[in-house]
Amino acid sequence: MALIVFSSLGARAQNGGFTVSYPIGFPMGNLHDYISKTSFRGISFEFNKKVKPQVTVGLETGWNVFYENAGEQEYKDQTATVSGKQYRYTNSVPILIGAKYHPQTGNQVIAPYVGAGLGTLYSNRTTDFGLYEITNEAWQFCIRPEAGLIFKTASGVNPFVGVKYYWAFNSDDLDGQSFLSLNVGLKFSPF
Amino acid sequence: MTIKLRYWLAVFLLPVLSGCYPEGAEYTEDLDLVYTNYSNQFDFASRKTYSIPDSVIKITGEVFNDPDGDGKPTFLSPAYATVIVAQIKKDMAANGWTLVDKNANPDVIILTSSMTTTNIYYYYDWWYWDWWYPGWYDWGWYYPGYYYPAYVTGYRSGSVFMQMVDSKAAKNADNVPVAWSAIINGLAEGNTTDINARIQTSIDKAFAQSPYLKH
Repeated sequence: MALIVFSSLGARAQNGGFTVSYPIGFPMGNLHDYISKTSFRGISFEFNKKVKPQVTVGLETGWNVFYENAGEQEYKDQTATVSGKQYRYTNSVPILIGAKYHPQTGNQVIAPYVGAGLGTLYSNRTTDFGLYEITNEAWQFCIRPEAGLIFKTASGVNPFVGVKYYWAFNSDDLDGQSFLSLNVGLKFSPF
Repeated sequence: MTIKLRYWLAVFLLPVLSGCYPEGAEYTEDLDLVYTNYSNQFDFASRKTYSIPDSVIKITGEVFNDPDGDGKPTFLSPAYATVIVAQIKKDMAANGWTLVDKNANPDVIILTSSMTTTNIYYYYDWWYWDWWYPGWYDWGWYYPGYYYPAYVTGYRSGSVFMQMVDSKAAKNADNVPVAWSAIINGLAEGNTTDINARIQTSIDKAFAQSPYLKH
């Protein structure tokens, strides 16, 4: 089912630009305080449209899973102490609009780009503690600068590497759940 | 193009999908919790003697009842209660407390109770069969003398609750001051030996994370 959806997107990508990439997530700030481990679980999608020779605008979404086994620890609150093993999970889903600037429009093999995006970062923080589960979720305002390199091939399937910083702002429920991601992926486009 | 795209998507998606489910708790003891709390107005250092009943109360419902009419509550099976009380005595001794008879004017008394709860993941109701035999929906069902059948996935959780009460203050007040409380909680699954071993470990932790009890 998923492949059918992606295939149809791919077919439209002839004049748009569909990217799928594998993000390696590095937690930052409050997310890092909670889970310090790098995430190797995730996927990222973008659909971009050329509006000027050097500029594309588009939509981005994806999914990053952060996980850490915090092990046996004591948690104190004034006179109370609870000890046990915590298993910590954060699922992050960015939903952003963005623009990219591609300074080179010629036939260079390596084409750099920079971009910025803004939108929301949905974070679902779940802590498994004993037989209990504590869930906290938030939709946070997010700004996302990025930079990367596209390796152009004749086939129109272009590998790329990029770095994105999801800078999320504090919400009522949670402090900003920011992270940096290193993306390796493919861009299906003539650009 | 389409075949190539599918190929690349497969290359990308397979490792991602296979890695989407992070591990988590693996063993029963991974789910054990130990909660302690105390009154910071209570001077533990000046108290040295304690007393403890040999029985552990089994809390069976919200309403206190006396089913056999002997004026006593239901007690936990000695297979567990003996281990629980022995472990508390061992830890109290290790923390410098002296066990005395309840009539020998102990400084504090430790009261121990327990409770188990059955949690069912899938709600299985008579309504499912009402189409075939109308009227069953109103009856409800139960399992006389045994636990839920294995095909209803679920688990039993259990807690042991320890309270250290200030027995001398108790004589002068309407309310009994509880100086220290501890609750150990986990899965009440497995054989008696395994459950007892986990209870012992958790009781040890309750004392270890309460350094103010140490003399």
